Amino acid sequence: MSELTQELKAKIITQLNLEDLTVDDLDDNTPLFGDGLGLDSIDALELIVMLDKGYGIKLADPKEGRKVFETIQTMADFIEANRK
Amino acid sequence: MTPPEPIAITGMGAISAIGEDVVSNFRSLEQSRHGIGRITRLDTFHHDRLMAGEIGLSDKALYERLAIADHEAYTRSTLLALVAAKEALDMAGFDRHDGYRTGLISATTVGGMDATERYYDDYLSSAEHRHFIPTHPCGYGAEQMARYFGVNDFVTTISTACSSAANAIMLGGRMIRAGLLDRAIVGGADCLSKFTINGFNSLMIYSATHCRPFDGSRDGLNLGEAAAYLVLETAGLAARRPQKPLAYLSGYGNANDAFHQTASSDNGEGAYLAMKSALQVAALHPADIDYINAHGTATPNNDLTEGHALLRIYGSKDALPAFSSTKAFTGHTLAAAGAIEAVFSILALQHQVVFPNLNFSQPIASLDILPQTQLKHQQIDHVLSNSFGFGGNCTALLFSKAHD
Amino acid sequence: MTKPIYIHGSGSISIQPTHEPGYRFEAVKAYAQNPVPACDPDYKSLIPALQLRRMNKSMRMAIFASRLALQEAGKETVDAVITGTGLGCLSDSERFVETVLANEHELLNPTPFIQSTHNMAAAAIALSLGCKGYNMTYVNNASAFASALLDAGIYLAEHPDHTVLLGGVDELGARTPRFWELAGYLKHDNPVIPTPLAASSSPGEIAAEGASFFVASQQPTSQTLGKVIAGDTCYETADAVAFVNRFLRRYGLAAGDIDAVVLGYNGDIRYDAVYSTVGSTLFAALPHIGFKHIFGEYDTVAGAALHLALRLLGQQDIPQQLLLNGIRPRSLRRILIYTQRRGTNHGLILVEKEG
Repeated sequence: MSELTQELKAKIITQLNLEDLTVDDLDDNTPLFGDGLGLDSIDALELIVMLDKGYGIKLADPKEGRKVFETIQTMADFIEANRK
Repeated sequence: MTPPEPIAITGMGAISAIGEDVVSNFRSLEQSRHGIGRITRLDTFHHDRLMAGEIGLSDKALYERLAIADHEAYTRSTLLALVAAKEALDMAGFDRHDGYRTGLISATTVGGMDATERYYDDYLSSAEHRHFIPTHPCGYGAEQMARYFGVNDFVTTISTACSSAANAIMLGGRMIRAGLLDRAIVGGADCLSKFTINGFNSLMIYSATHCRPFDGSRDGLNLGEAAAYLVLETAGLAARRPQKPLAYLSGYGNANDAFHQTASSDNGEGAYLAMKSALQVAALHPADIDYINAHGTATPNNDLTEGHALLRIYGSKDALPAFSSTKAFTGHTLAAAGAIEAVFSILALQHQVVFPNLNFSQPIASLDILPQTQLKHQQIDHVLSNSFGFGGNCTALLFSKAHD
Repeated sequence: MTKPIYIHGSGSISIQPTHEPGYRFEAVKAYAQNPVPACDPDYKSLIPALQLRRMNKSMRMAIFASRLALQEAGKETVDAVITGTGLGCLSDSERFVETVLANEHELLNPTPFIQSTHNMAAAAIALSLGCKGYNMTYVNNASAFASALLDAGIYLAEHPDHTVLLGGVDELGARTPRFWELAGYLKHDNPVIPTPLAASSSPGEIAAEGASFFVASQQPTSQTLGKVIAGDTCYETADAVAFVNRFLRRYGLAAGDIDAVVLGYNGDIRYDAVYSTVGSTLFAALPHIGFKHIFGEYDTVAGAALHLALRLLGQQDIPQQLLLNGIRPRSLRRILIYTQRRGTNHGLILVEKEG
């Protein structure tokens, strides 16, 4: 599990150009949106592409993303439960 | 406050998925005949997955109609623009050599992207289509139009995403009012392209079916292609000709939402400020407006926030005048939307009719506002037309009836 | 134009170190390449990292240059943002075209599409300043900056107590310069900055990029760098001398009322002759100042010319590398800028020292 969260952190940093951050700066349970990391709706779309390309999981409705992308941990849980 | 002298509209032209001229656009609106279907003309992976408002004429047919030689490089947006602007100029019927300062203010977001995406790799390997290389910039089309029509006093192009043409109309009005032009040909054009279809699809706001503006179940837009132009003149200049103006441009306002790159703020601040400022310029009250041609793209975000902004202007849903989005007819025509909807607003004034908002069945729960869903004949003196774009760019235009 | 507008702050990013405080155009950076990318300032020094991460070069350059202009004017924000750009956010446009062509059947990353929109620089400025006012973007090729300047004049006439931020920005792409090369726009033969002008000219221009932004209002202040008295454009003209003459007459000026002319020579032998004609016919006795030989060519480079003119008014001296005809100015109060690109989009800006 922690291997997946580490991998997700690295991918998120690259995909979303969070160049000032390192994997160690990201906590598994920090909210990614709002007052946490401060990501927005465009980032959410980028994360949907990441789920599709990296893990073969498709989210058809961007609204679903809100729960899935709450934290690194919720993302990892979702991937574990849904990946083929 | 006394309103300033209104700007006369003496000509208009339009080509869209529902008609190749103003009259046929009107017939389609009157008969609730939309122009949305599977994509047949554009070579795209999505041709049978997504729907769009395509214009039935091929580029070749447009070249022929405009008597442009085969070896010349005109991209589709410019071809559509020439058709619509020609109709507007013929209708206005002024003498182009009468010495008055005539400007051309055009709008586009696609520019020559349809050629660029078609020849992107081909340009490097073959000389065959390289004459299209100069057509890429958004400003090139207006320069070709200026040459085609012999306009040289002032030529510019605006690109502010989906509010582009509304801003072109606004600039024409402001330049005439500032005494910098006597007359302005204003409007916009955007053709369909793989770039825009894939772009909106990647934002997950492209409906898989017919778009449903202001509906509770709306799930995104359909793109369309169109061009529309108006001829604006000082009221004094217009009065010298026998025919009366089609209508007047009485107000305009632009504001920025300054909230997010793509999403609108929850309370529709930019939209609210734009409408308020258009009303102020026209010295009109919200209650003076008889019909609102809404932006109404049918994306979850736009219709919700535009609805909130309308409720802020009117105070309550009971005070709202008849409103509709005509995007279910034409698709969202991006930079052309503000101009095609200006033409529809003027048609509403001329024929005293509100056009229906198609595909509506249930209101957005948190707003509970009902667009006009049937064609409705009623007294219309003033029409408000909204156009909002990415980057928080919000523009509202006000059109007023020409009285005898 | 409407009424003169006063410029209180000017910020510029270009292929010269114009973003450095106190830069006086004395040391000019040399290049032997085509195209030439702009000098990158430390963007992080003025733009928060969370915003910067999703900004393409146009947006970065525009925000940074506008921050410099605001700092110089001592302003936190403005009432309106009016910009020009010939090609908009070219790199993201290229990136998205390439993605579509390669992977149309897949889910695509939306960011380059959003960022390809031409008004993204103006929008990013509004967002970063929280400016909810009027926001406009002109894209009419080499007149894009002139249109922004004209609109600023109209806007300030409509709102006499407002302050606007106006400017121009253009970035280079990767694939597009190859297209320009195929279209014959670019210089092959000895492409260097500073570009040799006049006698040693060859065909082609040296493509570059940059952003220049200005804080303007209708009121002079103690900060005022200069005032733009008038501007004019014309898409095509068979007689540039008549175009310039008409302009001077309209503002009741004779050639002798001008102290120096800034001319848009870019070293392209095909189109530079018009500057020699205007220069020798109307302004033979005046200093001729070049700018594109040190800034390169791009659609909104007229903004860099205005930045240069304002700096010259301030320093009251024309550095040797900029002076094309060896004539020193008697004084520097009024400067006329004349530029065109590839024979079209002729533009004039008349700028005057205040006080």
